[in-house]
This record gives sequence, C-alpha cells and structure tokens, in this order.
Amino acid sequence: MNPEELLYCETHEWVSITDEGGSKTATVGISKFAVEQLTDLVFMELPEPGAEVAAGDEFGEVESVKAVSSLYAPVAGKILEVNHDLPNNLETLSEDPYDKGWIIRLAVSDDSALSTLLDYQAYQKQCAAEE
Amino acid sequence: MRWQTALPTRNNLRQSMRNRLATQPLFDLSKPGRRGTRLPKCDVPVQDLEQLLPAWAQATEPPGLPEVTEPEVVRHFTNLSTLNMSVDTHFYPLGSCTMKYNPKRNERLAGTPGIVNLHPYQPEDTIQGMLQLLYELQEMLAEISGLPAVSLQPAAGAHGELTALMVAGAHFRESGELRTKVLTPDSSHGTNPASARMAGFESVMIKSSESGFVDMDDLRSKLDEQVAVFMITNPNTLGIFDHQVSEISDLVHKSGGLIYLDGANMNAILGVTRPGDFGADMMHFNPHKTFSGPHGGGGPGAGPICVNEALGAYLPVPVVASDGEHYRLVYDRPRSIGQVRSFFGNVGVLVRAYCYILSHGPDGLRRVSENAVLNANYLLSRVRHILPVPHGSRCMHEFVATASDLKKKSGVTAMDLGKRLLDYGFHAPTVYFPLTVPECLMIEPTETESKETLDAFAEALFRITEEPAELLHETPHSTYTSRPDEVTAARKPQLKWSGPSGTDKKDH
Amino acid sequence: MPYIYNTPQDQQDMLEAIGVSSIEDLFDQIPPEVRLERPLDLAPAHCEMELSQHLSNLASQNLHAANSVCFLGGGSYDHFVPAVVDAIASRGEFYTSYTPYQPEVSQGNLQVMFEYQTLICQLTGMDVSNASLYDGGNAAAEAVLMAMSATKRNGKVVVPASVHPEYRQILETYLASLDTELVTVPADDGATALAALEATVDEDTACVLVQHPNFFGSVEQTEDIAHIAHQKGALLIVAFDPISMGLLKRPGDCGADIAVAEGQSLGTPMQYGGPYLGIMACREKFVRRLPGRIGGETVDRRGRRCWVLTLQTREQHIRREKATSNICTNQGLFALRAAIYLATLGPHGLRETAELCVQKANYARQQIMRTDRFSDAFNLPTFKEFVVRDQNNQVASMLQDAANQGILAGIPLQRWYPDLSDCFLVTVTEQRTKQQIDALANCLANAQQPTAIHA
Repeated sequence: MNPEELLYCETHEWVSITDEGGSKTATVGISKFAVEQLTDLVFMELPEPGAEVAAGDEFGEVESVKAVSSLYAPVAGKILEVNHDLPNNLETLSEDPYDKGWIIRLAVSDDSALSTLLDYQAYQKQCAAEE
Repeated sequence: MRWQTALPTRNNLRQSMRNRLATQPLFDLSKPGRRGTRLPKCDVPVQDLEQLLPAWAQATEPPGLPEVTEPEVVRHFTNLSTLNMSVDTHFYPLGSCTMKYNPKRNERLAGTPGIVNLHPYQPEDTIQGMLQLLYELQEMLAEISGLPAVSLQPAAGAHGELTALMVAGAHFRESGELRTKVLTPDSSHGTNPASARMAGFESVMIKSSESGFVDMDDLRSKLDEQVAVFMITNPNTLGIFDHQVSEISDLVHKSGGLIYLDGANMNAILGVTRPGDFGADMMHFNPHKTFSGPHGGGGPGAGPICVNEALGAYLPVPVVASDGEHYRLVYDRPRSIGQVRSFFGNVGVLVRAYCYILSHGPDGLRRVSENAVLNANYLLSRVRHILPVPHGSRCMHEFVATASDLKKKSGVTAMDLGKRLLDYGFHAPTVYFPLTVPECLMIEPTETESKETLDAFAEALFRITEEPAELLHETPHSTYTSRPDEVTAARKPQLKWSGPSGTDKKDH
Repeated sequence: MPYIYNTPQDQQDMLEAIGVSSIEDLFDQIPPEVRLERPLDLAPAHCEMELSQHLSNLASQNLHAANSVCFLGGGSYDHFVPAVVDAIASRGEFYTSYTPYQPEVSQGNLQVMFEYQTLICQLTGMDVSNASLYDGGNAAAEAVLMAMSATKRNGKVVVPASVHPEYRQILETYLASLDTELVTVPADDGATALAALEATVDEDTACVLVQHPNFFGSVEQTEDIAHIAHQKGALLIVAFDPISMGLLKRPGDCGADIAVAEGQSLGTPMQYGGPYLGIMACREKFVRRLPGRIGGETVDRRGRRCWVLTLQTREQHIRREKATSNICTNQGLFALRAAIYLATLGPHGLRETAELCVQKANYARQQIMRTDRFSDAFNLPTFKEFVVRDQNNQVASMLQDAANQGILAGIPLQRWYPDLSDCFLVTVTEQRTKQQIDALANCLANAQQPTAIHA
C-alpha cells in the first residue's frame, strides 16, 4: 500500500478502506514512524476474529523491551481477519509496515470516524512535532 | 583471541583472577550422589509411608533438584556475590532508592534469637518484648509523620500505597460517597497508578508544570466530587519540595478528597517537616530506604502506613495496643479493611528501622536529612557544570540531570553515561525515570557518603562526557558481563535452566 | 553520628561550593508554615552498646524457638536452617545491593534469580516461576487476580474453608473493592467438600484456590478439584507446602494452573511473621500475566551467557495503571536463601526432611490421642500438622499452661473457626525429637483443668 494514500490516527494506526458492493472493509496497521519509535519489538497481542470494536477502542498491544503501546481501532466494525503471522515474525512490522505488516481487517459498521483521521501530510506534520 | 596486550589491562586482569567453573549454573554443577547435608535418623518408631499418606497423593520420586556438596554451594554463591555492586562495596547513587549504608549493628540485633526465632502465633504473654518494640515503632512513626494511627503490616512501599487506598475506599463506602478516581502526578512512581487500579479506582494523571511542580490549573480542572485521593510525592521525584502543597491539600480537602503522601523521599525531611503538618491524610514509609533496611538485592522492604485519626479505624488488623504495662494485639476492629498479608508484617525489616531510629534520636534524624540534602546539593553544584539540571540549581535529597543535549550533539544517551560509570567503579544513577525528563539521570547520594566520594563521582562523570561516543556506546568494558541482549531475552524468554549447555564450557 | 562522614569543615566547604551560608538555607524550598519548629518527640540517641543492651532486654522477655519447644505452624515453621544459608546470605554484596537495574554489575543477583526460578519450577512441576512475591498469602491473592485477568471472569472466586484463614481474609480485603464474590466452600470433615465445590463452581468462576496439604495439615484431592474447576473453564490455584514436595505429588502434576506457596520453610527464620517469601509459578501460557520480577537468560555483546530482568512490560514502572500488579520488588534475599537451602538439601535431603516431618507428626498425633481427653478433629491423613480436639474444651488455658512449661504446644483455632473452638493445630517439623514430642504429649495429658485450679 502507498503510505501517502492512507489515513492515520493520532495514535499512529493507519487505515485503508476498500468498498466492495457497498460493504466497506478496513485494513489496519501501524505506521513506519511508530515502529521506529518503539525500537526493537518483542511481543504482540492480537484479538480474535469476530469481536466488535468501536472507533477508538483498544484492540491489541505491541511491546518493545521497555515500552508498551496499545493499538486503537480507527473505525467501528467487526474484526474479520487477524494477521496471526505477525507475532512470530515481528520484523515484518519494521520491514513492511504497510503491506505484509497489516494487523487486522474490519467489516466497517460505522465509518463516521474516518472524517476525524489525518491524511498523510497532516500525519507527517504530527510526527515531526513528536520527534 | 582475547589477549591483545602483554600487560594485563584492567579487563583481562579481572579475567585472570576468575574462571567460570564456580559460576556455572547450579544445575550444571550437579552430579548424582553428591550431598550437601545429612539428616538425623528418625528417632520415633518408623511407620510404613503407605499407612500415613495415600498412594495417590505421593510422588514417585523427589523433585529434580541439583545434587551438590556444601563447599560447592559456598563457592558457587560466594563467587556470584562478587559479581554484584552493592552499598558495602560501591557508591550507589540510585535516585529514588536511598541506597544508604546499612548498619551492621542492626543486622546483628535483628538476628538475636529472642527476636528472630519468634513464631507469629505465639501467645501474647510470651512475646511482650517484641510487642513493646512494635508498639514503640508505631509511636515513633506517628511522631515522625505527624499522623497518629499506624499499621506496620504492609510488606513494601507499593503494598502500603495499596493498603492506604483500600482504607480510603472503605472510608468513602462507609460515608456513602461514590468516589471512583485517584489522581497521580505524571512524575509519580508507576506503583501509584498501579496501586490505584488494584484498589478499584480509576487513575487520572495530573501534569507537572515547567518547573516540575504540580500543575495547579490541571489539578483544578480534574478535581471533582468523584476524586477520592490525590497521591503526591513530596519532595517529588525531581528532588524538589512542592511549596504549593498546603494549597493543594486545601483544594483537595475542600472537594472532599484525601491526600496520600508517597513517603519514598522521607530521607529529605526527617524532623524538618511532617506530612501530617503539610496536609497529608495518609502516607507510607519505606523503612528500607529512609531507615536503612538493607535492600536485599530487590527485597524485602516494608511499607508501614500512617493515617489521620478518623481513618485509623479502617487500618488492617492487628495493631499493637498498650495499657502502659502490657502489650496486646487488637483484632477486634469492626471497621478494619481486614488483613493485607499473612501474620503481623515484615518484622525483620521493622526491627532494623526501630534500631536505626533509636540509634539516631531526634537530633540525629534531623542531621540525617540535613546531610542528605547537603550532599545532594553539593553534588548538584558540581554536576550542573557537566550536564544540565533542568529543575533549578537547588534540590532536596536528590536531583535529576539530563543527557538530552549530549544525545542531540553526539548520540550519547543517559544509559551510555550510566554504563560507563560502572567502568569507573560507581553504580549508575537511575536512568529513564522520572518519565517527565528525557534522557534523565536521577542522582541520590544519601548522607552516608563523603565529599571525596562525591568529588570522585563528579570527576568521573566529567571525564566520561569528554570521551568519544563510539567508546561510550560499547560500555561497560571492565565488567564481568558486557551489555546483555535484552531484545532476545524478551522475544524468546528463557526463564529457567534448560539442560546442560556448552556456552560457558568454552571459557574454562 | 556514626554513619555520616561530613566534618564541620567539610560542611563549610560544601556550603561554599553550593553558594549558601548555612544548611538551613538549603531547606528554604519548604514554606515556613509547614516546618516543624521543635525537635521530634523521640527517645534520645542510643550508642551501639546502649542499643544492644536495650534489644537484649526486649528479647529476653520473649519465649522463642531456641529457649522453648515449638509445635506451632499454620504457615510459619520451625524448620532447620543450615549454617551455609546464613553465611552466604549475610554477604554484603547480596544483602546491600538492589534490584538488578544494571545487569552488568548485578550478574550475581540475576543468576540467583534464574536459579531460584529453575528450582521452583522443579519443585512445583510448573513451567515458569517469577522471582518471588511478598509472602504466601500475598502470592495467593496475586494468583487470584491473575486468574481473573487470564479467564476474563470477575464474577466469582471459590475457596474452601480448609485454606489458610489469613489467606482467605487477604482475598476478602483485596476483592472488597473489585465487585468479585468470594465464595467459601465448606470443609467440615477437614478437607474440601467436593460435592459442594462442584455445585459452586460455574461459568462465572475465575478460579478455585485450594491448599494442599491444607491449613489443618490434611491432604486434599487436588486432582479431583482440578477436574471440577477445569470443567467449568476456571483455573486451579494450588497453595502447597514446599517441604511436602519431598514426598507429595507436585501441583504441576495434579492439574494446577498456578502454584503458590509460603516459602519461609526454605531457609528463612520465623522472625515473628516476616519478611517471608511468596512463591508463584504457572503454566507457560500465563507467563505474560505473571506479576513480579522475572529473570531471563540471554547473551552479552561478547556472546557470553548472562542474565537480565525480562518481560518488564508487565510491570508497573512501564505499564503503570495497566500493570499485572503494583508490585515493585521481589523478596530477593529470601529467594536467595531458598535457593541455597534447596541446593544444600538436594532431592534426597528434601525427601528425608519430608519423611521426618510425616513420621514425627504422625507419632505425635498418636501419642497425644492416647489420652482420652483428646481426639482427632478430622479422620484424614496429614503431613506435618494435625488438629486436636480437647473434649474438655479448655484449649486456651491448656496452651497457656504448656507455654509456662516452655512448650509452645499449638495454635487455638477459635479465632478463625468458631465451630472448632475446642480444637488446636499441632505442627511437628523434622527438628522435633522424640523426647520433645513425648514431653508435649505428657504435658497435654497432665494439663490441669482450670476449673480445678480456680475452684
């Protein structure tokens, strides 16, 4: 996926929306910037498919040696799919955060939160401020 | 090949004094048939075990413990001990931990048979001396804190926090107030929010101002009738006394909340000011910090709490009471939260605290704080010419310097500096706490260090900041172990011995 | 002051360097209105000799295990402590160091942690151990909280009445603020009533906590209890006696998900109740919910094996309010003592110690029961403790009389079990000799009846 075309949360998750026949699917991951800030990742806790999440809900965690970051859902929906390969191959997150490093796919139930997300430019600005 | 020079450097000199035979994992030393102890013959008529215990409950063989001899045990653990830095051997300015000298007399006295061999359920008549000691300690802590009701039961500082918050919870339940929140400053110890959560409260963070004090506007905006307790550390974790403390406690009290004082930093204010006098309703002491209980490689501690008169009714049972002649344990306290641990408390630690307080008396305790503050300010006056100290030129018992300029300039981190100090024979300060100061080094010298030691430490720190970054990233160089790979340790946790391995055999 | 280096000249020099004229000036951050304007009201300073005299005076008023004969137990035991334990644990490099935040200069403590964890895994048959908690009761409470978080069930925690009453009391305190119901299952016959347990455990139950051997010294049917818990998706927590592991099946071999214990038996003196050692071990899958410090193996930059604190993201200093627990320390010094103790005893020493306990306790039980006045409160096999019923219902005065003769004969059960007000708990460790046991039996058999004295 092209990072410039994604939407971002202030909490560093990215989301990409596909629309197939009116039902929207969201693919969610975390940004390269977030992965770099976390340094060497050591553990990931992921949800099970089937769970319902609201926008802003915590759905998982990533850990480095001395930090924990919660993962927040950018939009509301039901979890369709979870990238279960990730916890055993954490380097994928740093090597390919926007494709192979996707974390969950959601069947979007309410996309109103999308309007509050940042576009690439705005997100870059936020990252620069955080650094 | 390790021998690059003919002359022993400090590094290979250490190596030459040491082989790794004795420090192999205990289980690698094991050899079937070796014994470290012999037990007496059974002197009562021996019965068939099958008669005494049902077969289904019995194991077929004892657990697979190592089989080693007593001298092997001694050499193994003695060699391991020499791989530690400790207060007895090194300057240990670990901020927030008050690593002061642990008096030998306290060790001996706490080991007196009439103190150390008491069973916790002995009848009161048979332990009057012990109860007297504990009663007097309750009185001493009440006087030092300015809070009259004392429980010696909690097992550590964090446990004291939890206990006090449970006391607060019981108080509000009884008064029918639904208060669900506990406020903690962002510079607080992580135990504060964790304790709040365990006691059933929601933890809300209060910002610090630029100057490191509680941000009063933030406090005001978060203070409402839901707030049960404001947990404050004063002097705070930056080593400064928050002069707003009376105003804070007035505000919190006005909204019906309670003030909890995290007593981690009591070493700065003994006999100078008392938490009860600056508005605290509850507090804990860390006798292993303030009153010199040895830290034991990570414990034991103790966490006695002191609370105001009204909250006293909720303290855990038992407490020690006296009619002036006879001492007794009081269990009949209907409003008590109950027990928070088994038996009376960490008595061994409390006995040492009692000895420490008696050794000093009122003047001596004040002198402890005066010299702790003097030493910290003196070291601060030297360190601030080496590294910025963001929160002013004066401190209480500790101060926080930052390597963040250095990191920007040369990539050298607080961790690098800390690790290099180990090469110079000093334990590192606390790094990466408090969370409010980036690249921080939290330095607490304590009163039991000399000016010469403080000078040598400052000198070492200065020399280190002049050293090349590449060297510092690789430090320490002279220790038995260099920097461990913590990422692998966390990714593939190896938490117990997994069978004989060749790793160390190479080094013999 | 004996521990302060600064001479008046040093102080002067330091004040000048700081740029103030007096120590008083250093405290000017503290507003005058909150200053204490008088000396603390405490006893005057005692020099070492005065302090020693004072302490020895206090100590002399206590009856203790060295000048009496101790048959008290209930979670704190008079087991033998080999000299090697004291000798090593009194090395300043161990007891004056702190949590190994700098692994390069804490390899001693870290390796001890790792070896302790290994020993505990061997002892319990569990997969992972932490580096210790405060004490047995606290470990039991932490295990319950851990089970609640692992099962995501907050409804109910089930505990039989045969679990140490103080452990149950601690749980009650901990759960009071968490809206979780603590259900006590009867143990009227001296062990968990299995039918009642089965009827109580349901889909809301986070865990069952059982003690084996239990507070009355009796063996529990741990495997059946495990089955009952697991059927409903609840976890089983077993509180065990470390010394009993020389003879009994380990918690890990009986279906326990979490094993906890009071580790005082392993080389720590009784010291009136603490500090002790909270042992906690669990199955692999719960490792990230385990509270407390954990040491792990890794390699250093030279490729050599070494040890570090690991999985720290579980802990309060990183996760703050979301931490697995608020605990910040372990009981390092007592974990060290336990490691030395277990290494010194080895498998055979542990087995022999356990055998001596069970033989001597059963001998004592039989000797005491020879007097008509006494009977077994429960008809169950016991390990090193047993409950005696006094037909005359004069427990308190009888125990007082025994204490006057230098025998700490037992623990009255009335405080915790009103139904057992005529009962007391007797403990016999490997240290008790036949002579002492016979003296106990005699002393109890000849106990005066207070009615006779006061009549």
